[in-house]
Amino acid sequence: MSVKREKRVPEGLLLLRNNILTKGNIFGSSAKARWASGLGLTSKKETIFFAGCGYQFLDGAEATLSAVRALDKRGLPWERTLGMTSFLNKLGINLGELYGKLTHRSPLSDNPLRCAVEVLQGMDIDCGCLAEEEPCCAGPLYYAGFQEEFASRATEAQRIVQERGVTRIIGMVPSCTYALRELFPRFLTEWRVEVSHFLEVVWERMKEGKRFRLPQEVTVTYHDPCVLSRNLGLTAAPRQILRSIEGVEFAEVERNKEEWSTCCGGGGGFEVIFPEISHILATNRVRELLNTGASAIVTSCPGCLIQLREGVKELKAPGVEVWDMAQLLRRALPEG
Amino acid sequence: MSKLKAYKKRLQEAARDPQISVALERAIASYRKNVDEALKKFPHTLQLAEEVRRIKEESIPRMEDLVKEACEAIRENKGKAFVARTPAEALEIIDGIVGSGKLIVKGKSLTGEEIDLREHLEERGNEVYETDLGEYIIQLLGIKPMHLLAPAIHVPKEEVAKLLSRVTGKNIPPDIQTEVATVREILRDKFFRAQVGMSGANAVAADTGTLFQIENEGNIRLSTSAPPICIALVGMEKVVPTIEDAFKVAEVTWRFAGYTVPAYLNLVSGPSKTGDIEKVTTYGAHGPKEMYVIFLDAGRSQLAQDPVFQEALYCLRCGGCLYECPLFAVTAGRFGDKYFGGIGAIWTAFVTGDFSKAAPLTYSCLSCGRCKVRCPMEIDAPQMCLELRKRIVAEGGSSAKES
Repeated sequence: MSVKREKRVPEGLLLLRNNILTKGNIFGSSAKARWASGLGLTSKKETIFFAGCGYQFLDGAEATLSAVRALDKRGLPWERTLGMTSFLNKLGINLGELYGKLTHRSPLSDNPLRCAVEVLQGMDIDCGCLAEEEPCCAGPLYYAGFQEEFASRATEAQRIVQERGVTRIIGMVPSCTYALRELFPRFLTEWRVEVSHFLEVVWERMKEGKRFRLPQEVTVTYHDPCVLSRNLGLTAAPRQILRSIEGVEFAEVERNKEEWSTCCGGGGGFEVIFPEISHILATNRVRELLNTGASAIVTSCPGCLIQLREGVKELKAPGVEVWDMAQLLRRALPEG
Repeated sequence: MSKLKAYKKRLQEAARDPQISVALERAIASYRKNVDEALKKFPHTLQLAEEVRRIKEESIPRMEDLVKEACEAIRENKGKAFVARTPAEALEIIDGIVGSGKLIVKGKSLTGEEIDLREHLEERGNEVYETDLGEYIIQLLGIKPMHLLAPAIHVPKEEVAKLLSRVTGKNIPPDIQTEVATVREILRDKFFRAQVGMSGANAVAADTGTLFQIENEGNIRLSTSAPPICIALVGMEKVVPTIEDAFKVAEVTWRFAGYTVPAYLNLVSGPSKTGDIEKVTTYGAHGPKEMYVIFLDAGRSQLAQDPVFQEALYCLRCGGCLYECPLFAVTAGRFGDKYFGGIGAIWTAFVTGDFSKAAPLTYSCLSCGRCKVRCPMEIDAPQMCLELRKRIVAEGGSSAKES
């Protein structure tokens, strides 16, 4: 690819691309699957829980993005910082992880992936995970316009998944789930893996009578991630789940819900091209959600999670929390 | 990356400007309310929209033939019709009709905006008046429109009052009623003194050569009927097979623009005429004596043959998508070039043929997809933006024409 052509693609997206091509994940991290330690998950299962990138590196991503936003707001060339990030990555130093350790670092037990697996296990759903061997869905390459590279990474992912005899994937990140379910069949000829989203699997079991209960009552609103609602059509399950958890008072957002839901400002790589504006959009969305009077915002996407948390911070909304649905479910999972 | 940087700077400035987001917030709320009410009152619109989509699907692949048919019909009506392949060709034809030193009144036209028509005519020594109120304000401010249908969407009444006080030399209060009356008075004189009136069209019927123009202010009626010469500049994609089809296109367009019914639907098929004296047809009665229609190609015929991007030509320009775009809500027309929003990225790529101009736009799309939910033609602009990114990466030459 010529330099001239690359120049048309925003640098933030080129960095994500570079990370996928060199490290197999969007954050360029060398260490993967730390979240799964001690969960007793094996890779020898027909049904695999697909972790994806976003939730694994949530703390690092949140910290990096917030640093980038501060620079972008002041008109500083943060792309160069990202350039440095990629340079350090080549040396094996991951700045995002470093930032994450220094600033946010939430307990591992609260990681949405861990919560999700514990919820699945609590519902007797037998699944494994590929841990370090999990391939990247390569979705961001597709979104950035590198469709040929996406196709070749997808082929590689197919080989890994099918060699291990996987027949079913439970996806967690909406965009990974979309890539595996909708894009893979478009780009691959022999893709025969059934792909469901975590929320669908959970709702199936809840319908059969599995009970969840929160220790304290909370008024909760729900933010539809664009990919889940408009691309995968998954709008009923999360609402049914919320309505079925004891202790959850579900407050629906007015109008901007389901297929009319407002984007959190973090779609299609927008947040790494226009960090400041992305932050404004996140704040706007949080304002809509808080009009419901809810004290907790629940969503089901790592990108939305970061965006909404930033928005809540910006609005200085006292006591408002942003949870992933998996975290909420884990808290409401009956012990034993 | 300098184009992206300059664009990003403008976008950021707009996003920080509370005047834009406050104006848009009000506009979005009232648009949604209006369109909900209009659809409730005329529920057949949704089915009609499906029918219009089918009309477009059928018309666009044979756009070239339909334009030819429309030209013949217009000539039969004693109008003159042309096809301009490029903006330069269109301007040359218009120059040939207008010349210089003329007073020109102009209705709002995106296609005119596309080829910088007003600026060109002014350079040629003509005095040009935009007659749509919003567009007139924009012209006075010397800035670019921020919305398809409401170009001055971001300008509050206080600023309008200042502007009109400057123009009239009187003290105009920031009262909307007074402002509208003031503009009426200023422009009334221009309508009747103008030698040339210019407009666009929302739809054109190939069988009768009839132009359909939707409006509320009455300025298009006056622009196309008061001056002795009228000229319409129309994108080739606007032509549909029959006058019945054109009615359907028009109704869906205004309904998704948020109107139960517009104040006027103007139909123009040729110069004005009378046969009242001895049944001898004589041209130039109360309306224009000469009527010219110029169909603009400028990338449209290439688009019409492109299986991936063809759908962009179905766009009715109702503007509904813009009200649903979270980015447009804080940046208005800064998210765009002459055409706005995600669909605007596709139009920019093909009508300018310049991918470097379209690249920052297509990378601004959140791909959130709410525009598609609103669109009466269900145009998948976000998906097209992703496909455009693919072309930018894969073929990335300097122009769409190379691809």
